[in-house]
Amino acid sequence: MGDLVGYLRDHAGQVAGLTVEHVTMVVLAVVVAVVIGVPLGIAATRWRRWERVVMGTSNVLQTIPSLALFGFLIPVPFIGGVGARTAIVALTLYALLPIVRGTHAGIRGVEPAVREAGLGLGMTGGQLLRRVELPLAAPVILSGVRVATVISVGIATIAAAIGAGGLGVYIFQGLAMVNDTVILAGAVPAALLALTADALLGLLERRITPAGHADRRVERRPA
Amino acid sequence: MNRAVLILLVLLLACGSGDAVVIGSKNFTEQDVLGEILAQELEARGIPVERRFHLGGTFVCHSAIVDGEIDLYPEYTGTALTAILKRAPVQDPERTLGEVTDAYAARWRLVWGPPFGFENTFALVVRRADAESLDLRTISDLGPVAARMRAGFGPEFMAREDGYPGLRRAYGFEFGRILQLDLGLMYRALDQREIDVAVANSTDGRIDALDLVVLADDRRYFPPYQAAPVVREEALDRHPRLREGLAALAGSLDEAGMRALNRDVESGGELENVVRAWRERRVRQREAAPR
Amino acid sequence: MYEIPDGRTLFDGLSLSVRPDETVVLVGRSGVGKTTVLKLVNRLLEPHGGEVRVAGIRTTDWDPVALRRRTGYVIQEVGLFPHLTVAGNVGLVPDLLGWERSRIVERTAELLALVGLPVEEFGRRYPHELSGGQRQRVGVARALAADPPLLLLDEPFGALDPMTRFDLQREFRELMRRLGKAALFVTHDVREALALGGRVGLLTAGGLAEIASPADFVTSNHPEVRALVGTLDQTQNG
Repeated sequence: MGDLVGYLRDHAGQVAGLTVEHVTMVVLAVVVAVVIGVPLGIAATRWRRWERVVMGTSNVLQTIPSLALFGFLIPVPFIGGVGARTAIVALTLYALLPIVRGTHAGIRGVEPAVREAGLGLGMTGGQLLRRVELPLAAPVILSGVRVATVISVGIATIAAAIGAGGLGVYIFQGLAMVNDTVILAGAVPAALLALTADALLGLLERRITPAGHADRRVERRPA
Repeated sequence: MNRAVLILLVLLLACGSGDAVVIGSKNFTEQDVLGEILAQELEARGIPVERRFHLGGTFVCHSAIVDGEIDLYPEYTGTALTAILKRAPVQDPERTLGEVTDAYAARWRLVWGPPFGFENTFALVVRRADAESLDLRTISDLGPVAARMRAGFGPEFMAREDGYPGLRRAYGFEFGRILQLDLGLMYRALDQREIDVAVANSTDGRIDALDLVVLADDRRYFPPYQAAPVVREEALDRHPRLREGLAALAGSLDEAGMRALNRDVESGGELENVVRAWRERRVRQREAAPR
Repeated sequence: MYEIPDGRTLFDGLSLSVRPDETVVLVGRSGVGKTTVLKLVNRLLEPHGGEVRVAGIRTTDWDPVALRRRTGYVIQEVGLFPHLTVAGNVGLVPDLLGWERSRIVERTAELLALVGLPVEEFGRRYPHELSGGQRQRVGVARALAADPPLLLLDEPFGALDPMTRFDLQREFRELMRRLGKAALFVTHDVREALALGGRVGLLTAGGLAEIASPADFVTSNHPEVRALVGTLDQTQNG
């Protein structure tokens, strides 16, 4: 333990640099996954056929072992090759499922009566989505983003094998040198990153839960 | 009576498998080839062998043999001296071998067998086109252009003191960008122009195949890396014919020969068959040689 | 003001029209198609034969959104937007229509007063803090926000306890009298129908069995109407 603290202190600059690389990969991947995934999730709630395609594809992507996915992507033109870009593509694909699922579940979770009332009052589909469905679904969507982020932090450690940098660099060096301290120097900051992301996003989730929504379980008071 | 025989058989079998010589190797092609050469040589002498190839890097194999998980693996004198014993590199191959032999015996009761006959040194390689346009022949020639180049190194080379850290100090330059890559991706990345310089083994088959240029180590930073087997003393005691097996392989391979075998395996040949074919060629050469 | 000569195969040959200031209540068993009738009016459903006209224009010719903005819609489950306050719920449609903030505030206060929930006390509360009766009042206020000429109500008081239901029925009748709007109200409760309707109609499997003023309805000779009215007596005696 003391060794680890000492190592981290001695290599503080490099640890910081690797952490920045790691965070950058994860953030880019999650952002792109949200931009692609939320609309896909919305589409899945609207059309039955889309639902099958979207949910099915993201499920399949999730089952591909991460190292294998990195390997598959390397020979692909434009998005492939070694380096961070390929890693980000792979991370984005992995982040899709939790986000698509979250969006789908969140919107599905809106009570049918609410949707019917909205339509009956003359809201367009777009207005209903923007003013009612998305605000109500937001906490569940964000929970999907949270899961996606935590998963990405973990998978991003493998990216170091294909030249993408990040905290995995230490893990692979430690493995090659049979040096636990170096392995931990990569693994512990990565774990802390995941925990921090989880906590911060969890906080955000609680804050955006609409005031009335959280307490639906509360018994109503008599008139 | 029958049950007693059964128990005896089981015990004998158990003893038998415990008696095998466990041969390990590091995680690149040449090591697998050397491991297989050792294995077939021992098997030809009736010694049971268990193959545990592609274990990991230098330190994984070293830990394994010290702990007794493997009995034998191919190592390089320079690597043992600088990376494992962490001593200053010595330029003379004989002295290097002598130092590691003494130190290994004293510290871990490990014995160095006779060298195979070639050296496999770290080679900085670049594409031929770059070597010609930038006039690169030695590592020092990289000095002026290094800041503009992207390098690809494996995790071990990045972490070892006698790897990139030492190279940087000895030659006084740094590369513009460094990617830490799995060894398996190195050549592809170099060929695809995703990196400009890589660290390879001088006996890699792909150096010729991809028309790469090895830059000469003009400041003699890298120590001599003679390839030789390292074996546990107690394994030698267990198997009297082990020593003669190792001796039979002394000087059996030169650099060209090693590179050819590497190439054969990397281009799709089955490890066992490639080595078997090599052994047969050797036998024929010996028979054809005048007495 | 609106008429439906025909509908889905649920029933055919349904012919009904509502005058600008009358409340028509349709009664019928569960499943006979009461909700369907309402949804045909605001084009949540489209007829498979015949036509539905609102203000003289076929629903299929109306822009659905424009149509629904002029037909208030109140449903049994209420469907208040849980993430908006009471005031937010009432003011949503005017906001979508682009009204000025001050006008929305004014209108909201006016409507909430009308349904007995003064805005000072209730405006900032959330739906989950209200009782069932209070929620439905907000539902009615919300439906009236854009001042639609026609109200559609689908068993709005069905989920409430009898005492609250009674209060709301009374207030509703008073409200309709005051506002002078047209309303199409469906329910399975014949007592409620007789209490609220300017005209009461019985919806059966075939279509509209009978439609008449409450007095005439009660004394009708139609066998199904008599059977329905008969249930009233039974509950009284039982």
